[in-house]
Amino acid sequence: MTLQSMPRRRFLLTALATMAAAACSPAQPPAAPPKTEPAKPAAEVKPTTAPAKPAESKPAADAKPSDPAKAAAAPAQKTAAAGKITFWHAMSGVNGEAVNKMVEGFNKSQGDIAVEPSFQGTYDDALAKLKTALASNAAPALIQVYDIGIRFMVDSGEIVPMQEFIDAEKLDMSDFEQNVLAYYKLDDKLYGMPFNTSSSILYYDKDAFKAAGLDSNKPPRTFDEVSEYAQKLTKKSGNEVQQYGFHQAIYGWLFEQYMAVSGELYVDQGNGRDARATRAVYNNDRGKAILDWWKAGVDGGYFGNFGRVTNDNAAAFDARRSVMYCESTARMRGHINASEGKGELGTGFYPRPADAPAEGGNIIGGASVYALKSRSAGEQQAAWEFVKYSTSAPVQAQWQADTGYYPVRKAAYNEPVAKEWIAKYPQFSTAVDQIRAVPLNRITQGAVFGAFPQARQRIEQAIEEVLLGQSSSQDALNRAAEEITTAIDRYNRSTR
Amino acid sequence: MSAMPAPRSAELGGAGPTSLVRTLGLYVLLAVAALAVAFPLLIAFSYSFMAESQIASFPPPILPTRPTLANFQEVVERALRPNSPLPIFHYLLNSFVVSTAVVAGQLVTASLAAYAFAFFAFPGKNLLFLVFLATLMVPWEATIVPNYITVRDLNWLDTYQGLAVPFMATGFGTFLLRQSFLQLPGELYDAAVVDGAGKFRFLWQIVLPLSRPALGTLAVYSFLATWNQYFWPLLVTNQPLMRTVQVGIVQLKFEESTRWGLVMAGVVIVVLPTIILLVLGQRQLVRGLTAGAIKG
Amino acid sequence: MARVQTAAAGRLDARARGRKRARAVRDLGEGLLYLAPSLFLFAVFVFIPLGRTVYLSLFYTSPIGAPREFAGFDHYVDLVTNPAFRRSLGTTFLFVLYTVPGSIVIALGLAVLANRRLRGINVFRTLFSSTIAVSLAVAATIWALMLNPSIGLFNYVLSLVGVRGPAWLTDPTAALISVSLVTIWAALGFNTIVLLAGLQGIPEELYESAKIDGAAGLGIFRNITLPMLSPSLFFLLVVNVIQVFQAFTQVHALTRGGPVEATNVLVYSIYLDAFVNFQFGYASAQALVLFAVILTLTLVQFRVIERRVHYQ
Repeated sequence: MTLQSMPRRRFLLTALATMAAAACSPAQPPAAPPKTEPAKPAAEVKPTTAPAKPAESKPAADAKPSDPAKAAAAPAQKTAAAGKITFWHAMSGVNGEAVNKMVEGFNKSQGDIAVEPSFQGTYDDALAKLKTALASNAAPALIQVYDIGIRFMVDSGEIVPMQEFIDAEKLDMSDFEQNVLAYYKLDDKLYGMPFNTSSSILYYDKDAFKAAGLDSNKPPRTFDEVSEYAQKLTKKSGNEVQQYGFHQAIYGWLFEQYMAVSGELYVDQGNGRDARATRAVYNNDRGKAILDWWKAGVDGGYFGNFGRVTNDNAAAFDARRSVMYCESTARMRGHINASEGKGELGTGFYPRPADAPAEGGNIIGGASVYALKSRSAGEQQAAWEFVKYSTSAPVQAQWQADTGYYPVRKAAYNEPVAKEWIAKYPQFSTAVDQIRAVPLNRITQGAVFGAFPQARQRIEQAIEEVLLGQSSSQDALNRAAEEITTAIDRYNRSTR
Repeated sequence: MSAMPAPRSAELGGAGPTSLVRTLGLYVLLAVAALAVAFPLLIAFSYSFMAESQIASFPPPILPTRPTLANFQEVVERALRPNSPLPIFHYLLNSFVVSTAVVAGQLVTASLAAYAFAFFAFPGKNLLFLVFLATLMVPWEATIVPNYITVRDLNWLDTYQGLAVPFMATGFGTFLLRQSFLQLPGELYDAAVVDGAGKFRFLWQIVLPLSRPALGTLAVYSFLATWNQYFWPLLVTNQPLMRTVQVGIVQLKFEESTRWGLVMAGVVIVVLPTIILLVLGQRQLVRGLTAGAIKG
Repeated sequence: MARVQTAAAGRLDARARGRKRARAVRDLGEGLLYLAPSLFLFAVFVFIPLGRTVYLSLFYTSPIGAPREFAGFDHYVDLVTNPAFRRSLGTTFLFVLYTVPGSIVIALGLAVLANRRLRGINVFRTLFSSTIAVSLAVAATIWALMLNPSIGLFNYVLSLVGVRGPAWLTDPTAALISVSLVTIWAALGFNTIVLLAGLQGIPEELYESAKIDGAAGLGIFRNITLPMLSPSLFFLLVVNVIQVFQAFTQVHALTRGGPVEATNVLVYSIYLDAFVNFQFGYASAQALVLFAVILTLTLVQFRVIERRVHYQ
């Protein structure tokens, strides 16, 4: 063996050594100081939970909601809501930019508070990170958490309910969409402020309807109609299906929506809102009817099955492998864009059983923001000022235009930017009509329980078992409900 | 490929028509295999130049009908905006710095350890080697929360140290280098140590130069492994300007849309530097040790 | 390792027994000196955290992961009796079986193919090892596009050659195969590089003398290439098994453990329990069981297989 040295080829190691020297010097986080405490010492700050003289703070009804800068700035003068706060969110892409735009608007609207938005991955990532950070006091002042995280957020004991800020200022909430607020209320107390709100609707291709001889302005309303239309819309060549009539993701959220429009609770104790839920109760006739309808369609070859991943299902619709499908309104803009040059996009109400009782209706989805207790009172107040700003009508109208999420304020629809938007995307009025038509009750408020993320996974498994013919619908639901009941019990014990 | 001239030295050294046919056959085989392996990457490249409307069609396209730079433009534009939520060039720089630091750290710690495991005799050696290997087997869920707390207590959140230091020792790299060191003839070590040349000098002057392919493999591997981390960088950074590239990919892959072209453009931007590294380092990686292989 | 030990033993014979112990201590000290940097980092970032996991596995934990109530071995008893855990363990083993041999054998083929002196061979070597440059997250993203149930290219390409591909991600039997495909593909680059480097290390004289002895083709491969390559192969076996046992990203991105648990490998189930289901104590117990399983398997590999590895 000869030991030849090859100086010319040493580039890798020498380059690495040079780079290593550079890498070991400390990072230079640009400009921003590492951890900012509120500008004023906490001692000056009155605890937010009981602000000094609530009578002094103007009822917000006086403050014009259409002037967000003023609305946000007015109370800030009294409380020591100053400093820099961090806001963790899970909005990426276009929506992430909309968040930054909103935050910039807020930061410019006043001089005391600087909100720093920080993207934290998916909702699950953000929540996992929050759990880690809570264990070590590194939590942000404000965090966006998905809808079903409410039980966890409340039980963590780490949040300041939004209701406390509202009560302290006697803020008039009448202009808010009550159906949206209701989701985030427990015992009539608002915990998280709705941040991005969506609901589930039916998307369909109007041109495909015309081609099949169907009225393109009359989308199906009931399970039976969906099946009937889907059969007519399905195109086959030989045994190969070229175009399915209908599909939807194997997504627990959609099943929850179907239970709600069927007028059924998901868990006991008034969907976990009268008292802590103890049992999953969806293994009844209504639940079975949903799965049987779904399975009959898949077996009949007129419903497509594109799996659990929602993006895959969206792609199936965009490519028109299937011409009707149910999904969140949050995807509407994407579908409108993707429909260019294909078939005209139509929207319809979420399907329900023909004999659904009147008290049924859709549950809202999306996420809300929570203020965290571990931050100083000044930071908490600063977080609240930002929340107020974010829910003002013009900001909400702009938010809708930027993201496609519902405004949480009714007055937002009067803003020019909102009118323009609805004119541009008339499909969205279906979504607004639908959410406004929902009767407010325990069913439509949606379920609240600790094992919800797990339950969602479990029902997806049950749906798969049924669609793949591994289990009867009743057995699959029974087993899922039983397991989730155990999980709820385990969760409840862990919070004691 | 058919125009390719016959190589100067065909594998078995023979000349003549059979050899030519053989060589051509080899090239065909190599090309087919290369295409199969690289196909997914080629698709990513192809889709990154595709318009959104073409991607969502059936049957699925393979090549863009009208190639467009729009996807890249959008990524770059977003990155260059002031206060951009997706400063992808910063991400690239950060990933580069952190990956390099980890490589440097691992080369030092792993070569020292592997040297001891390969050449020394000491009690408990096998057990200690198992301890090193065991570090590979701990599921990430079991360590990530306490490590976060450690890094925070050190005030290392949002710093390069926080991103790099926890990964500077490697059971994997130690194992890799040990295997390579064991391949060196034992007589070399015995002779050198009898000579009185220090053990460390033997490592520095003989073992490391001889093991450059293995060191190169470890360097490339750990560079890419660090480059490809997602959850840890997300956990220990909050400022967008301290984030790394994989976080950027997730930001592009947002839930509400299926803009595959845009995502693939992001994929290409993130993969390109590592591909370049591979092209540059590839010869280093597989260069042989023997005289014959070197002379070629 | 054997070589060093015999050398050491030989030296020991020559010395007085009384000095043996002192020497052992000195050797240990010297060994530890070289291991110290690694051991320090491992202690801080692996073993102390692991200790905390052991502790947590004995508790019921609050939703934010703080220990609440002593559970003793409840979580472990739960695991043993829980059929879902056993299914998950079975899926994990099946996954290892689908991926590790395939990935090493294909990589061996590629490495042998690329181990020639031809013009432009470096281009092919680079292409063969290209997947090392791709993160699992990115690999999963690309494959998600190719295996997409509606616009997926993979089935379309198969249909062009007359094969009707399954519903890769929605059919329970095909789903684990899909995830395995991605895993094999992602591992190919690294495996090929290691084997190619190993092949390059085999002295040419060995081949030449074998040819003189009249050996050819397969005989050379079996009698020279494989034994000489065995350290690399053994390394890849151990490392690939460990990595596949911990495969998470591709499952998370492609199937989320479904359909019907078909891809619910153990690390994924741990992730769900730790970060989604608020059961940190239970997740800790699972993590430790997984650790023990991998450790045992690695030990077995060292005991049974490393003997046959041929070190020079």
